[in-house]
Amino acid sequence: MTPGAREPILEVRDLVKHFPLTQGIILRRQVGAVRAVDGVSFTLYPGETLGIVGESGCGKSTVAKLLMNLERPTAGAVLYKGEDISKLSGRALKAVRRNIQMVFQDPYTSLNPRMTVGDIIGEPFDIHPDVAPKGDRRRRVRELLDVVGLNPEYINRYPHQFSGGQRQRIGIARGLALNPEIIVADEPVSALDVSVQAQVINLMEKLQDEFGLAYMVIAHDLSIVRHISDRVGVMYLGKIVEIGSDTAIYEHPTHPYTQALLSAVPVPDPQAREGRERIILTGDVPSPANPPSGCRFRTRCWKAQERCERQEPPLAVPPVLADRTGEVLHDSACHFAEEKRRVAHG
Amino acid sequence: MTDDRLLEVRDLEVEFTTRDGVVRALNGVSYGVDAGETLAVLGESGSGKSVTAQAIMGILDMPPGRITGGEILFQGRDLLGLGAEERRKIRGPKMAMIFQDALSSLNPVLSVGFQLGEMFRVHRGASRKEAKERAVELMERVRIPAARQRVNDYPHEFSGGMRQRIMIAMALALEPDLIIADEPTTALDVTVQAQVMDLLADLQREYRMGLILITHDLGVVADTADRIAVMYAGRIVENAPVKELYAAPAHPYTKGLLDSIPRLDQKGGQLYAISGLPPNLLHVPDGCPFHPRCPRARDRCRTDLPPLYAVSERAAGGAADATAEAAEAAAADAAHDDIARVPEVGERSSACHYWKETVDDARRA
Amino acid sequence: MPEPNRPDTPLDAQGAALDEAVVTRGEPGRARSLSSDAWHDLRRNPVFVISALLILFLLLIAIWPSSIASRDPLYCQLSRSLEGPAPGHWFGFDTQGCDVYTRVVYGARASIAVGVCATLGVALLGTVVGGLAGFFGGFWDALLSRTTDVFFAVPLVLGAIVFLSMIQLSGIWPVVLVIAALGWPQIARIARGAVITAKQNDYVQAARALGASNSRILLRHILPNAVAPVIVMATIMLGTIIALEATLSFLGVGLRPPTVSWGVDISSASDGMQFRNAPHILLYPAAALSLCVLAFIMMGDAVRDALDPKLR
Repeated sequence: MTPGAREPILEVRDLVKHFPLTQGIILRRQVGAVRAVDGVSFTLYPGETLGIVGESGCGKSTVAKLLMNLERPTAGAVLYKGEDISKLSGRALKAVRRNIQMVFQDPYTSLNPRMTVGDIIGEPFDIHPDVAPKGDRRRRVRELLDVVGLNPEYINRYPHQFSGGQRQRIGIARGLALNPEIIVADEPVSALDVSVQAQVINLMEKLQDEFGLAYMVIAHDLSIVRHISDRVGVMYLGKIVEIGSDTAIYEHPTHPYTQALLSAVPVPDPQAREGRERIILTGDVPSPANPPSGCRFRTRCWKAQERCERQEPPLAVPPVLADRTGEVLHDSACHFAEEKRRVAHG
Repeated sequence: MTDDRLLEVRDLEVEFTTRDGVVRALNGVSYGVDAGETLAVLGESGSGKSVTAQAIMGILDMPPGRITGGEILFQGRDLLGLGAEERRKIRGPKMAMIFQDALSSLNPVLSVGFQLGEMFRVHRGASRKEAKERAVELMERVRIPAARQRVNDYPHEFSGGMRQRIMIAMALALEPDLIIADEPTTALDVTVQAQVMDLLADLQREYRMGLILITHDLGVVADTADRIAVMYAGRIVENAPVKELYAAPAHPYTKGLLDSIPRLDQKGGQLYAISGLPPNLLHVPDGCPFHPRCPRARDRCRTDLPPLYAVSERAAGGAADATAEAAEAAAADAAHDDIARVPEVGERSSACHYWKETVDDARRA
Repeated sequence: MPEPNRPDTPLDAQGAALDEAVVTRGEPGRARSLSSDAWHDLRRNPVFVISALLILFLLLIAIWPSSIASRDPLYCQLSRSLEGPAPGHWFGFDTQGCDVYTRVVYGARASIAVGVCATLGVALLGTVVGGLAGFFGGFWDALLSRTTDVFFAVPLVLGAIVFLSMIQLSGIWPVVLVIAALGWPQIARIARGAVITAKQNDYVQAARALGASNSRILLRHILPNAVAPVIVMATIMLGTIIALEATLSFLGVGLRPPTVSWGVDISSASDGMQFRNAPHILLYPAAALSLCVLAFIMMGDAVRDALDPKLR
């Protein structure tokens, strides 16, 4: 895959989202801000999957909401085919929404319990009547049920008659209804049983091939992200600290946070238990309301030096690795970037 | 049975009365834990893994739950024969439990120091001052930084990982012989999860406790467990030492689970997916409960409920170089075979009629 | 690598498993909405059945009182004042010599009319104010919630007495309007909470991501999921509003004679301690009132149990 050869379908530039912290009931004054997303940039190309990993509170779900225009960014731009969609509203926004759809984490709260499956999957057609003529809608809904591997006869049932995995399929069918080009999936399988997760992941991959979808998958499970992503970005405290192809991130990580994250993932192989080198980070993630100066990871980093406190490392190919070639050369926001091969194994 | 055997669950049966009928949550579950050993109980939601733990702890909601059979031998005594007061005296000093959601397991209006000290006041009759002193010690033991300054803080002032440490401290307070951890790290981030599992393993070694780790995470199991019991639809389907299970699972369900998880260190094509859904406990399929989802299912599986067969190295090893047909013939005779004996609790076993071919196929692959 | 599963195999297995799940209640393949589940539970709840039958009976006699009471409630013979039960007059006669049985039957109409109309007003006003506050949040929430608090601070009985004694109009409408104008804050608070809870569900975000308008989100997604607690509260309030009407009538500011209502009869029975000599003139209207209030409160309880998603 050579992403550079194609036009990006989605480009995010210096996206910032601060949630103000206020005090007082009537006369509200701002006493600070949670810097949920603090300067995030990436691009998404047609037909590819970009994975975003990070721990809770790193801002990855806020990024999803910003892409979906469910939140307005404090600064920055979301360019869909070159047009900034983050400032659109009304009719123009509605038109763009057809092309970007979302799959939610919790299959229990993402479907309205008082609507039938047919109404849920058919709702996109009610909102965008020009996509499917009225008489054709039931047929389209049945088709969609079939596409996601559910029996089309279930069209009149209610969500609570289905299991978690089946509900997630219904949510995916709703996302597909408008034939979008991009699907943003926020933790699409984390609420499902292990044996059902694989079914949903396979379905998502099948649909990507069938409809040429671009996925942006947000997850905390590094193994799942590796499995489905072409490129991966690692987030920490509102910033992307390392981004590159899946091989670059998983086989040649250069940022200490990525290395620690990968080494912490338990590998389902007891033979690897003894030989594994694990980097156990100390302490907790600092509060995003008051992030550390300079490099945000420095408070937990074993390589941190005085420079890290003073100067924020840019997300770029680290100069210290400039003499190398191959997958090591990818963006990593660390002054002291250093390749560590296959940390996952030890 | 070894002399070290700390806990042994035998043929435990639990039913729940719901408005849709009687749900048989456990259908004869047997497993054992030795002192200083970690037993992982692996299963999906509804497999009965947490119900078993609640029955052992004596915190099963009854009604709607009801223990209809079996015994729970703890240090040689059957817990099910004891009265409520005696059970209460065992919880805490002898066995303790760690829950998944630390925030809702801690009382939000009491300081953590008070809650930690409570164990000493209630069970040991310690004074307030003494109890607080012990609470600080415990917090230091679970490596909470600045324990003395934080002892009067309330649960919401701690991060998720720290709260789980406090739960561990609480479970450890009276140095029990057995700890049951129900999904202790599911709610935590990977880096914090690693810290907590490390801590738990260190403390277990130090105190030589038995640990029952209830989880659905195959990675955590591989990292920490000595033995594994795999549960499906209220039964144990496979019981094995951890390395043997990962090397060659003897039950198709275990094999399916192992094949269906994406690996961090490998980029595969399509994942293997176990088809279908976990069964509804109101209508568990006849025969082997796994047969509707099983790639190896044959006629016999639809009618005969497989007992736990002892999986012996000799039998499996001997068949390894035989042809596939021979293995199949041998497996078909398994019921009449001398190797199809009833396994000891804790011995490697599998509840599959065709465990031999399953093991052999896994070895060959 | 094992053979990847083909899409048709899991489908069949899932179909079988799903059908099993459905057999547990209702016929396989039948759609079961949450409200039909609630109805299924209600029908089996004796508290609901009893209260529903009672309410049905009360509604019927409120609409057609003449079907079980053939006399005119305003036809009184002073000569029979305070007489005890007699053949054809099983509840006896009141101070004015009117038939107590007839008056109790006809009294249902005014009491229930006030109860139903005032409750509808309260529910409507409360849902709109609370719903908008919860849905829009921010400034609107602050404004509407503070207004709610101001009204909430006015004691219902005291406020009603003050307003009703000021306007000095007779008939049921002034009473209905005053109760509706003062009683809505309770519903508004509940509606606001329910809307805020419903708003946080992912299906609302999903609808928004599809480009749904605010009115569609509010009417299709939030209201149907927020209405249950309002219904429960309104049912219970119906009972208390009927009692409130009786209280106001008793105090002489609610309904007044010649309007026939339980409150009016209780009030006149206690005038000059008449009931000491003839307890029946207080007993029957008071019993009818208590039964009616109880029926609605029991119904509210039963509905709450059936709609409570936590038990589901």
